[in-house]
Amino acid sequence: MRRPRFLPRLGLRARITIAFAVGAFFLSALLAAGTWGFTRQNQLEQRSDAATGLTVANAAQIAQGITSDVPKPKDLVAGVPRPTGAHTILFYKGEWYPLDPSFGEDALPGKLKDVVERGDDARMRYSYRGHVYLAVGVKLDTSVEAAYFEIVSLDELEQTLETLAYSLIASALVTTLCGAGLGWWAARRVLRPLSGVSSAAKDLADGQLSTRVEASADPDLAPLATSFNEMASSLEQRIERDARFASNVSHELRSPLTTLSASITVLENHREDMPERARAALDLMVADVNRFRQLIEDLLEISRFDAGVMHLDLNDVRIAELVMQAVSVSSDADIPLDIDHKLAGVVVEADKRRLMRVIANLVDNAAKYGGGATRVELRQVDDQVQVAVEDDGPGIPEEDRDRIFDRFSRGLTAADRRTAGEGVGLGLSLVREHVRLHGGQVWVEDRPDGEEGARFVVLLPAVKPSDEGDGTNGDTP
Amino acid sequence: MATRILTVEDDERIRTAVKLALEDEGWAVEEAETGEEALNAFTRQAADVVLIDIMLPGVDGFEVCRAIRKSSDVPIVMVTARADTHDVVAGLEAGADDYLTKPFAPKELSARIRALLRRARSSDPASPHLRFGDLEIIPDEGVVRRAGQEIHLTKTEFKLLVELASSPGRVFSREVLLERVWGYGYFGDGRLVDVHVRRLRTKVENDPANPQHVVTVRGLGYKLQA
Repeated sequence: MRRPRFLPRLGLRARITIAFAVGAFFLSALLAAGTWGFTRQNQLEQRSDAATGLTVANAAQIAQGITSDVPKPKDLVAGVPRPTGAHTILFYKGEWYPLDPSFGEDALPGKLKDVVERGDDARMRYSYRGHVYLAVGVKLDTSVEAAYFEIVSLDELEQTLETLAYSLIASALVTTLCGAGLGWWAARRVLRPLSGVSSAAKDLADGQLSTRVEASADPDLAPLATSFNEMASSLEQRIERDARFASNVSHELRSPLTTLSASITVLENHREDMPERARAALDLMVADVNRFRQLIEDLLEISRFDAGVMHLDLNDVRIAELVMQAVSVSSDADIPLDIDHKLAGVVVEADKRRLMRVIANLVDNAAKYGGGATRVELRQVDDQVQVAVEDDGPGIPEEDRDRIFDRFSRGLTAADRRTAGEGVGLGLSLVREHVRLHGGQVWVEDRPDGEEGARFVVLLPAVKPSDEGDGTNGDTP
Repeated sequence: MATRILTVEDDERIRTAVKLALEDEGWAVEEAETGEEALNAFTRQAADVVLIDIMLPGVDGFEVCRAIRKSSDVPIVMVTARADTHDVVAGLEAGADDYLTKPFAPKELSARIRALLRRARSSDPASPHLRFGDLEIIPDEGVVRRAGQEIHLTKTEFKLLVELASSPGRVFSREVLLERVWGYGYFGDGRLVDVHVRRLRTKVENDPANPQHVVTVRGLGYKLQA
């Protein structure tokens, strides 16, 4: 079914609410109309019957007084009881004698007069001068032609009916609103298990793999919860299997690497005893075993992120000291440091080892692809600390600035990559994962001084001043 | 007599390569393939340093460590597969003095062993008798008494306590303690300090959960007080 473009697509809850409201409206409107119609009919009939009965009785009384020559026919009419507000008219020998002169022959509808003239009793509801009246006419059973009419006002009844109509409309509206409310509530009830499922799915996506939906006793909902939970456990098993695989791979690769690296050390110890060609081969092996080790470290670290089993070993770390130490052991210890002295006592909550890797990786990255870092800067920005590593390489084009943090992507062309030799492009993606895990951000931008080169910026949250307080006996400092 | 090192490792190639590398350093290396073998070998003749791989078939590294600790304060280095697992903390709590992560560079291993040997042999002569409430430290005898009762500390625990006692009331950061006790400096793992402080507290404190002597100063480090 095609839906007109200009209508926004309504949600299930809105649709259920509308359906309830429309249903309640029709039902209450029908009920209201029925009630009104029935009441009106009933009231009118009662009223008409009462008026007719009185008129007929009055007519009989008047008929007794009628002779062929009544001197003042109007007195006949005045002598009978009549309900308040009723008008009476006597027709006698072709003349009209209204009790109230302002309410004469004209006040009677012609059709009624015709019927009465033919000899039938009649009653009629009609509108005259903006009011509603009921007129009852009785042909008098006398020798002369005569008829008696009573006219009663129905205004009061009409007013009652109008009030009734208004209150029925009001209650129909209230019922409609109640219907909408009920629909909204029912929809919420119906959708509540769905929102539970959706928040559970979100938690799962966020890596809380043990999340499950509460089992429902409702036979209609139980299959949903069951199948969701089955999905979640098979997902969890799968991820656990992957994590186990990574850890098994880790162990399997670490053992031969340990042997390799110990053996190579022994060879290095006896380097002087070797022929020159063997020494050259040994040097190659030493370099590549180290590279291999780094590669495996990085791959395993990445796989730990993927398996969601990464745990940060968080401690209060003095950020200025950490940056200095990280640079001092990096591939380029002589980079000028620009550290805001206000940060001397500031600590961040961080995994020291991983944060050092972040800085070392950025420095290494600058050395490999940016011609070496030219400056490492540490600043406080609001409640955050900002570490920036600048180089004077070619810089990173705008369109590559996000991609560069992807795995195995490097900022350089394939030809450069061959000559660059070292590294497998995991360094920056590890930086991003670590920084994210610390609740921070990392990005690359142009150097602010306008020179050519890239500036990698790491922003870390949760700065707090070093606590000089004394005596809290926590487990760790 | 040459320093004797007992290496416990089930992978024969690693064991052999490590033995070759350690022998190049001038140490005598004894090998054990399983935990049982290691305990037998250690009972036969105590080593100066023990190197234990945690992942062993049968009796695992933690148990070997605990069994050795019952009778000896020999320096123990644990070898783990990963640095970020509970293995490290569990190994330290089982009584290890230090740990290494596979694949380790043999040079790193020898450096750790040398640091441990230094610690095992160092005793500052003519250090004064130190007293902290019910705690009495006699550095040149390597003796610590609590309420007159001698308590047994490993070399590393003793060294840690003496370092803290060298400036009573002064706060030592983990980095300083790592450097002075383990020889690591900034790059050491702070968990070494934390776990050893925990172990030390179980021995020197009346109520280790509510320490009176070895006190944590949040965000800064540890200090010793009376």
